[in-house]
Amino acid sequence: MTHATRVLVVDDEAAIHRFLTPALIANDYDVIKAATAAEALKRIAADAPDIVVLDLGLPDMNGKDVISRVREWSDVPIIVLSARDRETEKIEALDRGADDFVNKPFGIGELMARLRAASRHRMQRKGETPNVHVRGLDVDVARRRVSRHGAELKLTPKEFDLLALLARHAGKVVTHRQILSAVWGAAHEHDTQYLRVYVGQVRQKVEEDPSNPSIVLTEPGIGYRLAEPEQG
Amino acid sequence: MGLTDKPRASPEALLARANREGRGRLKIFLGAAPGVGKTYGMLEAARLARQGGTDVVIGLVETHGRKETEQLLEGFDILPRISVPYRGRMVQEFDIDAALERRPDLILVDEYAHTNAPGSRHPKRWQDIEELLAAGIDVWTTLNIQHLESLNDIVQRITRVRVRETIPDTNFDKADEIVLVDLPPDELLKRLAEGKVYVQDTAARAVDNFFRTNNLVALRELALRRAAERIDSDLLERMQGEGVEGPWAAGERILVCIGPDETSSMVVRHAKRLADLIGAPLLAVTVERPFARLSATARRRVADAMRLAESLGADEVKTLVGADLVHELLRYAKFENVTQIVVGRSRGGWITELLGRSLPHQLLRAAEDIAINVVTPVTPRRPRTARFVPRLTLSRERGLAFLWSALSVTVAILVGRLMTAAVSLPNVSMIFLLAVFFSAIRFGIWPAVFASLLSFLSYNFFFIAPFYNFTVAQPHELLALFIFLGVAVLSSAVAGQAREQAAAAVDRARATRRLFEFARRLSSLAEPQMVAEGTVAEVHRDLGLPAVILFPRDDDLAVIAAWPPEDELDTASMTAARWAYERDEPAGSGTGTLPNVSWYFFPLRASHGRVGVIGLGNESRDEAPLDSEARALFETLAELTATALERSKLSREIAVAKSAAETEKVRNTFLASISHDFRTPLASILGAATSLIEYRSKLPEAARLDLLEQVKDEAEQLDGMVRNLLAMTRVEAGALELRRDWLDVREALDRVVAVAKRRGATQRFSVQTQDQMPYISADQTLLDQALTNVVGNAMRYAGPDAVIALEARFKEGEASIAITDDGPGIAPDVLPHMFEKFMRGKNPTSVAGVADGGEGAGLGLAIAKGIVDAHGGTIAATSPVSGGHGARVTIRLPIEE
Repeated sequence: MTHATRVLVVDDEAAIHRFLTPALIANDYDVIKAATAAEALKRIAADAPDIVVLDLGLPDMNGKDVISRVREWSDVPIIVLSARDRETEKIEALDRGADDFVNKPFGIGELMARLRAASRHRMQRKGETPNVHVRGLDVDVARRRVSRHGAELKLTPKEFDLLALLARHAGKVVTHRQILSAVWGAAHEHDTQYLRVYVGQVRQKVEEDPSNPSIVLTEPGIGYRLAEPEQG
Repeated sequence: MGLTDKPRASPEALLARANREGRGRLKIFLGAAPGVGKTYGMLEAARLARQGGTDVVIGLVETHGRKETEQLLEGFDILPRISVPYRGRMVQEFDIDAALERRPDLILVDEYAHTNAPGSRHPKRWQDIEELLAAGIDVWTTLNIQHLESLNDIVQRITRVRVRETIPDTNFDKADEIVLVDLPPDELLKRLAEGKVYVQDTAARAVDNFFRTNNLVALRELALRRAAERIDSDLLERMQGEGVEGPWAAGERILVCIGPDETSSMVVRHAKRLADLIGAPLLAVTVERPFARLSATARRRVADAMRLAESLGADEVKTLVGADLVHELLRYAKFENVTQIVVGRSRGGWITELLGRSLPHQLLRAAEDIAINVVTPVTPRRPRTARFVPRLTLSRERGLAFLWSALSVTVAILVGRLMTAAVSLPNVSMIFLLAVFFSAIRFGIWPAVFASLLSFLSYNFFFIAPFYNFTVAQPHELLALFIFLGVAVLSSAVAGQAREQAAAAVDRARATRRLFEFARRLSSLAEPQMVAEGTVAEVHRDLGLPAVILFPRDDDLAVIAAWPPEDELDTASMTAARWAYERDEPAGSGTGTLPNVSWYFFPLRASHGRVGVIGLGNESRDEAPLDSEARALFETLAELTATALERSKLSREIAVAKSAAETEKVRNTFLASISHDFRTPLASILGAATSLIEYRSKLPEAARLDLLEQVKDEAEQLDGMVRNLLAMTRVEAGALELRRDWLDVREALDRVVAVAKRRGATQRFSVQTQDQMPYISADQTLLDQALTNVVGNAMRYAGPDAVIALEARFKEGEASIAITDDGPGIAPDVLPHMFEKFMRGKNPTSVAGVADGGEGAGLGLAIAKGIVDAHGGTIAATSPVSGGHGARVTIRLPIEE
C-alpha cells in the first residue's frame, strides 16, 4: 500500500464529524471533512479522495445532485448516509451512481464494512476478480461455476447471471432496477416480481437455510446484497 | 301476451298487508250494548290461547264484580294498574309502560273507547293500544257499537243518550279481527233485571232511556251490520290481495265540504256513512278565502270537523285556498274525479238563500255530472252572519266619525247654497250624494246612514220648496232618501271590504317581509345555539306565544333556547317533546298525544332528518288552535329553522374536518422534523458509543475521552429536546402551571449564557442590565427555558462567530429583555411567523453543534412564546437591527402578576 485510503466525510452536522473522525483514523483512514456540497465538490476535485461518505441532507444542495455532478467526471465510490425511512431517496441516490448506503443512525462497524466493500470494489475494477467466496459458497464468475462446500450447484443461466451480478458487487447493495436491467434488460426495469421469484430460486440452491438467508441478503424496499465475502 | 297472465295483487292490498307486518294484531270483541258478555267472551278465548302456549297478560280487565268473569281471571298474569290523581281522588288506569316493559305476546285491554284520566300519556285508551300494536304486541279489546265515531249521532238519535267516548272508524277498520258478541235484547234485559249488567255511575240516569227493547234492537242491528261490512271488506281485501278480478270498478268518490257552521261535524259524519254505504273513498276539504276573517269559534269548528274527517278515515283531508268558494270546490272535485259532493245547507243568510246564492244552489248550478247532497241540519241554529252589519259600538272614534259625517253634510249644504246662488240647478241632491259617499267610504255604514238621513233632511229643508221646513210636499222627494241610503249601504260595504282586504294585504306583506328578514338573519348565524335563540325570539314576536327549542343531547332532549327565558320543562312537557322528536309528529297541547301539557311540540325536520323540536306555549288549553295563517307561519318558521340548524351543523362539521386535516398536516410536519432532529444526536451517540466499543484499543486517550464527552453532550441535547416537547405539549394543552418566585433577571441571563458556553457555543456573549434591577415574579425553570431557546435560536441562525447581546431594563412596571445578534437577520417573510410551531429559517452556514434544545424542530421560539404568554408578557422579533443585518427578540414581562 502506497498510501492510506483517503475518506471524504460530507455532513453539515458537526456531531457526526466529531465521532467519525477518530473512528476512521483508528482504522487507518485519512480523513477529509466538508460541511456543504460546494465544499465537498471542491475537495473531491482537489484532494482526490478514495471514498466519499455523503450525507444526503445538505443545506446548500440536494445530495442526489451532488452525486450526479461527481459522476460527470469521477467514479469515486460514494457511500450515502440517509434516514431509514427515506427509501425513495436512497434508491434514487443509488441509481444516480452512489455505490452503497448506510442508515442513520448506524453502528460504526456497519459503516466500516461498507467502506471496505467499496474500496475492494474499487480495486477489483482495475483487475477483474472472478472468484468470490462467501460462507462456503464459491462463485467463479469467469467460468460460470457455482459450488457450495466443493459440491457444484446447477443454476439456470438467469439464476447465474443474477448471482454473478451480486457477486461482482459483493458486500454492496444492488438496486432492483440495476439487477433487472442488467439481467433481464432495460425493458423489465420495473418487474420486481420476477426478481423476487428468481431470488427465491437462487436462495433455494445456495443458502444453507433458504428461509433465513445469510448469503443473498434483502435490503427492504431497495434491492439485494451479497454478504461480505471472506478475504482471499 | 298478458292474456294468460295471472291478475296481479293490487299494490294497495299488498301495502296494507306489509304495513301490518311487524305490528301487533288487534282483535276487537264487538257488542251492541254493555252486558252482552264481551269481556267474558274475550277472557274465554284468552284461556284457550294461553293453553295453546301464547304468553297472555291481562293489561286491564273490568270485571265489575261479576263472579263468572272473575273466575276466568284466575291463573292469568295480571299487570298492576297505575294510580292517577283525578279531581281529588285516585283513579286506577292502565299502565302502558309496564305493558311495554313486560312485552307479552298478547295483552288484554278492556274497553277500547275508554277515556284516560287527564295527565296520562294519551287522552284515549285506543291511543295506548295503538302504541302497544306499534311495539309489536297483539292486543285484544272490547267495544260497544255506540262508541264508533261515525255512528255517534245515529246512536244519539236512537237512544237520546249522548255518548262522549268515541273511537275513530279507521281504528275499527284497521283491526285485524272483529268478534261479534251477540245477545238477543230480551236476554240482555233479563240480565239487567237480575243486576248482572254493570252500568257506569255517570250513565245511570240514562239507563232507563238506553235499555229499551227497541233501542237495543236498533243497536244490535247496527253492530251486526258493521260486523257484516267488515266481513265484506275483509273479503274484498283478500280478493284484491290475491289478484282476483272483481266488480269493484265502481269509482264513486265522495267529497265533503267543511264550513264554519255548527253543523259541519254532522255533515262529515253523514258523508262518512254515505261513503261506507256505497264503498266509496271519502275526501274532505275546507275552502279558505284569503281575505275572510273567521272568528275563533268558527276556526275551531272548521278544525274540529277536519280532525273528525281524519279520524273517520277520510282518504284525504285538505285545505283549499281561493276567493271563489264554488269555483275552488268544483275545480278540486273535477281533479279528484269526485262523483258526489256533500254540503250542509246553511251558508249565508236567508237573503242569499232567497236569491239562490247559497252554496248548494251555486254548486247545483255549476256542477256538471256531480251529484250534490245537501244535508239539512236537525237544529238549524245558525249564528247570525256578521258580514255586512258590523256591530254598532260607540267609542270616541265612532263619535268622531259621526261628527265628520255631519260636517261633510254641512259642507254639502254650503256648497249647494253657493252653487244655487251662482247658477240654477235642477237637482242639488247630487252634492249630498257626495257627502254620503264620503262618509260611507271613510267611516263605514252607520255614519253613512246617519249622513244620508241628515242629507235628506237638509236637502228637504234648504233646497226643496217649501224652503226651511221639513214638509215632504211630493212623494217622489222621498226617493232622494232611498238613494242616499242605498249609496250609503252599498258603498260602505264595498269600501269596508276594500279596507279589510287592504289591511289583510298589508298584514300579509308584513308577514312575508318578516319571514324574509328572519330567513336572512338565520343564514348569517353560524352556531346552532344562535339559530335557536333567534328562532324562539322570532316565534314569540310573530305569534305572541312562548317558544322553546330542544336539541338532542346525550340520548335525551335538552332545552337550548326559550323565549321568555326558560331552562327546564316539566316532566310531562318533556315527555311530549320526546314523543314529538322520536315519532316525528306533533305532540302536546292541541294534538292527540299528551294534550294536557301546556306546550305544543313540533319536530324540526331538515333534509337529513330531525334536528330537534320546537315548542309553542299554550297556557289556556281551550284556546282555539292556531288559525291556518298562523300555523303556516309557524310551520314555515320551523322549516327555516330546521334548515338553518342543519346548515350550521354541517358547516361546523366541515370546520371540524378541516381543522382535523390541518392538525394532521401539522402532526406530519412535526413528526418529520422531530424524527430528523432526534436522529442526529442519536446517530452521534450510537456512532461514538460503537466506536468506543470496537476501536477502544486503537483510539488515543484524548479521542476516547472526546467520544465519551460527545455521548454526554448529545444525550443532554436529547434531554433538552424532550423537555421542550413536553413543555410544548403543556403549552398546547393550556396546562402550563407557573411556580412563581422572585427572581433576578441578571442572574437568569448569566445562567443562560453559562449553559450555552458549556454546550460548546463559539459565539461571543455580552450581558448588560440596568443598575438596581428589581426582582420579577416568574417561574425560574420556565423562564430559563424560554431564554435558552431564544439564545439558542440566535446562535443557530447568526453563525458561529456572531456576537450575541443580552440586555435587560425596567420601564413602567415591566422588565424588557432584548437578545440581539449580528447575524444575517431574519427574512421578511419569515418574521411574522417566527413564533409559530415548526417554523424553521434557512441557515446555510450553520455547522456548529448548537445546543439549542429542539430549535431544529421549529419548536424553540413557539415554546418561548408559550412561556412568556403564560407569564402575561409579550415576545416580539425585529430584523434587521442595524446596517441591514442582525435580529433582535424582545421579551416584556410584568414585574408582578
